[in-house]
Amino acid sequence: MNVRGRARRFALGSVLALAFGAGAGAAEDLGEHLRACAACHGEHGEGVRGAEYFPHLAGKPAGYLFEQLQGFRDGRRANRQMTWFVEFANDAWLHTIADYYAALPPRTRAADTSAPPQNAAQRALAEKLGRDGDPARDLPACSACHGTNLAGLAPGVPALVALPADYIAAQLGSWRAGTRQSKAPDCMQQIARALKPDEIQAIGDWLSHQANADGVRPAPAGSFALPRPCGAVAATQVTP
Amino acid sequence: MSVRRRLGLIGLILLPLLLALGAVGAVLFARQGGFAPYNVPNGGASDVPHDAATLQRGEYLARLGNCATCHTARGGKPFAGARGFVTGYGWIYSTNLTPDVASGIGDWSLPEFAHVLRNGVSRHGVLYPVFPYAHFAALTDDDIAAIYAYLRSLPPVATSQPQNLLEWPASWRPALIGWRMLYYRPDTSAAASSDRGRYLADGIGHCAMCHSRRGEYGSLPAEGYFAGGPIPWLRWYAPPLDSAQLARYSEAQLAQYLRAGQTDAGAAYGPMAEVIYGGLHVLTDADATAMARWLKSVPAHAPAATQPLPAMTEAVDGAAVYRRVCADCHADDGGGQSGRYPALRDAVAMTAPDAINAVRLVLYGGLPPTTAANPQPYSMPPFVYRLSAAEIAAVVNYTRREFGRRSSALTAADVEADEGIVLE
Repeated sequence: MNVRGRARRFALGSVLALAFGAGAGAAEDLGEHLRACAACHGEHGEGVRGAEYFPHLAGKPAGYLFEQLQGFRDGRRANRQMTWFVEFANDAWLHTIADYYAALPPRTRAADTSAPPQNAAQRALAEKLGRDGDPARDLPACSACHGTNLAGLAPGVPALVALPADYIAAQLGSWRAGTRQSKAPDCMQQIARALKPDEIQAIGDWLSHQANADGVRPAPAGSFALPRPCGAVAATQVTP
Repeated sequence: MSVRRRLGLIGLILLPLLLALGAVGAVLFARQGGFAPYNVPNGGASDVPHDAATLQRGEYLARLGNCATCHTARGGKPFAGARGFVTGYGWIYSTNLTPDVASGIGDWSLPEFAHVLRNGVSRHGVLYPVFPYAHFAALTDDDIAAIYAYLRSLPPVATSQPQNLLEWPASWRPALIGWRMLYYRPDTSAAASSDRGRYLADGIGHCAMCHSRRGEYGSLPAEGYFAGGPIPWLRWYAPPLDSAQLARYSEAQLAQYLRAGQTDAGAAYGPMAEVIYGGLHVLTDADATAMARWLKSVPAHAPAATQPLPAMTEAVDGAAVYRRVCADCHADDGGGQSGRYPALRDAVAMTAPDAINAVRLVLYGGLPPTTAANPQPYSMPPFVYRLSAAEIAAVVNYTRREFGRRSSALTAADVEADEGIVLE
C-alpha cells in the first residue's frame, strides 16, 4: 500500500474513531440523564436483582418501550411512580429514552429460579397455549406474535423470555382489569380477557422458565406477519 | 300585652336589624360587581378576524394561560375538558373549550366569551373560582378576541360533561354569590398597568393562583399577593414571588427558568413543571424577561420566622446519608453541578417554611419538563425504595439546616404521612 492509501485509511479510521467516540460519549451522557430510571431498572436497564417486579428495559424493542412510556404519560398504563416521571416529557424525549434502552445488550438470564416448579399438566397446558394457541376460542399462540423463540419482534412486540412469573401474571391481570391498556385495537386485552385465571398462572410460570441465556434480540421488523391487528404495534410498525 | 302589641314590639326590634343586614348585603353585593356579572350576553358565534397572525397570538396566549393544561383530561383530546380537580369540597371537572355546539363553546359569541373570562359567570351559572376569572379580568379586548379566534379554529370535539361531585352547599351554584360577596373583589389594575410583565403574570399567567397566600374558603385576599404558601389540596408549597425570594436568580436566569424549566439556581418540579411544560416554554425572550423583571420587583414579604437551630440529636446521621446518596449530584457543599443538577443551597425546597417539597422530591424523585431549551433534562431518582422513612427525615433535616438555614426536625412519621403520589 502506498503512502497515500495508508494516509487515506488513517484518515478514515480517525473519522470513524471520532464518530464512534462521539456516539459512545453521547450514550454515556444519556445514561447520566436517566439516573431516575436506573434507581429501579438498573444502571444499564438490566432490572434489579432481588426486586424482580422492576422489569429490565435493556434490549426491548424501541417501539414497545416508547408505547409504554407514552402510555404512563397519557393514562393507558397505571403506575403512579412512572406517571410522576414522564408526565411532563414530550414524545421526542420519550423516543430518545426508548431508543437508548433498546440499544443496550438484552438481559441474559437463565430460567427464573424463583418461579415455582410446574407439574406436567400445567406445563402441557401452558405449552399448548404458548405454541399453538386455542383456535376454538380465537386465541393465537404466544409465539405467533412474540416469535418462535419468544424473543419479540421489532419494533413493537416485546420478548416474553427472561421475565419473572409474577410480573407476567400481573400484566395479564392488569389487561383484564383495564388498568393496563394499549392503543386500540388492544389485542393483548382481548387475549388476556379470554384466558382463564389458571391459564394465566400456568403461562406466567412456564414463560418464567424460558431462559434467554444467549441474550437473543427481538426479530427484525417485518420478519413475520402478526395474526391480528394490534393498535400499539401498528402505531410503531415500520413497513419495509 | 295583646298579641298585636307584642308583634309590634318584635317588629320594632327586627325591622332595623333586617334593614341593617340588607344594607350590608347590598354593599357586599355591589363590591363583588353588582348585578352586571349575572347578565350574561349571548347571541350566536361571532365573526372575528382569523388571520394567521391573530390565530398565532391567540394560541400563544392560550399557552401562557395553560388553558389546555386544565381543560384536557389525561390522554384526552386537547381543550375538550373533563380533567378532574380535587378540592376540599369535592371534585370539579373542567369544561370543553372546543367549538362543538352542544358540548363546547361553538355557539358562544365573543361578548359572551369575554364576559365569562372577566366575570366568572356563564350561561350555566356562577363558575367556581378554580377558574381564574379574577385574573383573566385583566385581559385586554384584543387579547380575548385572539384567544376566542384561536379556540374557534380548533377541531370541534363532542363530549359528555362529567358531573361535579361537590358537597352541599358548594354543590349549589347560587351559594357562590355569597362567596363572591364575602371574598371576590374585581381588580383590573393589571390591565391598566403598562408593565408587560405584570400584565402577563397577573392576567393570563394567573401566577397568584398558586403563589399567593390563600385566605379562608380558598379566597385570595389582596394582602396575600405573591406571599407564597401551600397550594390548596396539591401537597406542594409555592414560594413567594418577590425581590427577596428571587434574589438568587438574575433577571436573565429567571427568564431562562420560565422558558427552560431549569437553571443552575433551580429546576421546576411538581405543578411548576406542568405550568412550564404546558405553557410558559413558548414565552418569547422579551416576554420572559418582562415577567422576570416584574416578579423580581415585587416588594419583599416579611421572611417566614426562623428559629434558632437546635443541635442535631437524631439517631440517623443525615449528613452521612447526604454524602452517600445525594452529594454525587448535588455536591458536598450543596452547590450542585452546573448545567446538570441544581444547587440545593438556598433552593426553595431547602428554605421554605414547609418541608413538603423536599420530602416529596426525595421520596419520588423528579424529571424536569421537556422544553426546547432543555430537551433532555437530567433527573432525580426516587429514594422511597432505597431509604427508610427515618433516613429520609434525617437527610431532609440535614439539608434544610445546612443549605436552607431552616430549623427542621421531621420524624419518620412525618415522612410517612407525606407518602403517596398525588397526580390529580
